[in-house]
Amino acid sequence: MALTEEPGKPRNFQERIGILQDRIYDKIFHNYIWQSIFRSGYPNTPRNQMLVVATNVFLHLHPTRLHRTHVKITHTYCLGGLTFFMFLVLTVTGVLLMFYYVPSVDRAYQDIAALETNVKFGLLMRNLHRWTAHAMVILVFLHMMRVFYTGAYKPPREFNWVVGVILLVLTLVLSFTGYLLPWDQLALWAVTVGHGIAGSAPYFGDETQLIVFGGYEIGPNALIRFYTLHVIALPLLAAIFMAVHFWRIRRDGGMARPL
Amino acid sequence: MAIEAPPAPGRAPGAARPRPKREREEEVLVWPDLVFVEFISAVLFTITFVILSVLINAPLLNRANTDVTPNPSKAPWYFLNLQELLLHMDKAWAGVLLPTIALGFFAAIPYLDRSREAQGIWFGTKYSVRITIITAIYAIFICGLLVAFDAGDRTKFEYATRWIPSCDNSAQHVGVPCLRDEAGAKHLGIVTTKDFSKRLQFSIPWPDALGTDDGHLDWPRDLDRIPVPFNNVDCCYGSLHLWKGMNLNIPDIMANQVIPLSTIAFFTVLIIYVLFRLGWVRTRRDVFITMFTGVLTAYLVLSLVGSFFRGQGQALIWPWEIKVDPG
Repeated sequence: MALTEEPGKPRNFQERIGILQDRIYDKIFHNYIWQSIFRSGYPNTPRNQMLVVATNVFLHLHPTRLHRTHVKITHTYCLGGLTFFMFLVLTVTGVLLMFYYVPSVDRAYQDIAALETNVKFGLLMRNLHRWTAHAMVILVFLHMMRVFYTGAYKPPREFNWVVGVILLVLTLVLSFTGYLLPWDQLALWAVTVGHGIAGSAPYFGDETQLIVFGGYEIGPNALIRFYTLHVIALPLLAAIFMAVHFWRIRRDGGMARPL
Repeated sequence: MAIEAPPAPGRAPGAARPRPKREREEEVLVWPDLVFVEFISAVLFTITFVILSVLINAPLLNRANTDVTPNPSKAPWYFLNLQELLLHMDKAWAGVLLPTIALGFFAAIPYLDRSREAQGIWFGTKYSVRITIITAIYAIFICGLLVAFDAGDRTKFEYATRWIPSCDNSAQHVGVPCLRDEAGAKHLGIVTTKDFSKRLQFSIPWPDALGTDDGHLDWPRDLDRIPVPFNNVDCCYGSLHLWKGMNLNIPDIMANQVIPLSTIAFFTVLIIYVLFRLGWVRTRRDVFITMFTGVLTAYLVLSLVGSFFRGQGQALIWPWEIKVDPG
């Protein structure tokens, strides 16, 4: 409500510009359409700053206020948030990679090679996807260490720690399933090692190999299974557990505090 | 163990505590204080990774070919520790059971350490920093030692056991422990743990009534086919009888399961006991700090060994000696 009442006559050029700015601002942010999207005003007052967090679906993962020790960078090093950010980057770059990739033994390698040479920014997307994937694994471990060494798994946060362990496993499996997709020698033989490890499970080794890899050696079945797991099944599962993970942080009273 | 967690306050475990009375003046608004930090770290990471991706290309080797095996072939780095463990013990333990136990242990930590003390601050107990540092150094040292022991011919660790004599293969019962050598090869001490079942031999007099037929119990010859009870019974729709026809290879179980696993257990208990006697490990939380640090450090060390110290045929070599044979 910047300029509803009649101001005095502008005295100089600066004031005229100021009034013009306010009018433009009003037209953009105080119209019917904008206010149908964003319910709260610009977050420049404490009230609006709390409203913007509480009414925005993405920001409402946060509480509206938190203890000042928790925004100190050395308390968390943002590790959990950065892990989630890596997941988002991986989703975006992954979707872009999917446009150019066909998960068949005949085409997979060719598609990756073509992506690197024929597609604008294709190589950059693939590099980003790969390096952020490695970073996500490292960040998950670091986040787990942060939570452990700050004793943040203690009551009432026991179950959220368990959800975190599940997310660690999902991250590793997500990374591992992606490893096969380029269908080069590195991928094939690394996954063959994993195939051997899975086959060493007592009593159920053969069944595990059949179910997860679709056969007793790495072939077309393994490729399509890993692709499906990598691009839809595991990300969905991870997203669900992440939702639970974030929700539980809020439900369990925010981040751990000394008693 | 004389370590007891302090009794939890009288509340059902896991029940959400009522939030302590807020000290409003100690609180800040999420917008802008937290959102700003998150935004900046996201921007920094984006820039870092774009630069990294411009500079370093993701590897792409030749097209996959099942007929051409690169030597060495390695798992992704975060599974290299499992691949490393496979060299030292039974594959079911290394590949599946130990990782499962480790993850189960991680998941169980909050249910075993229920005290509410020392949370929300880094290294909350009195000696936790030194426990963490000492355990990490200890784990690096022990992992290195054990890896070196299992490659005794390359690390010269077998010199320590050279005094064990070479076996006289023509003798019917070899008597005192001895090591069997390859025909014509020079005498070696114990090179790997597997030598306990592969090369070590000894005999002790043993009454025939207790299962031998020549008056001697010969290791490993007399012990490598011990039938499991009821392994010859027909029952349970065949495949449900999991140990049908199964015989135990005792020397193999010793070398690939009992020795490696009890070694892990021994060194774990040892460090906890020493730190406890020093008075540094005082609460259950301290025990878990020791174990957690030990497991994570071992994970890291074994990954590094697998990445940088394993060459062709998984031989233990220096990083600069690694040559990959593309097959």
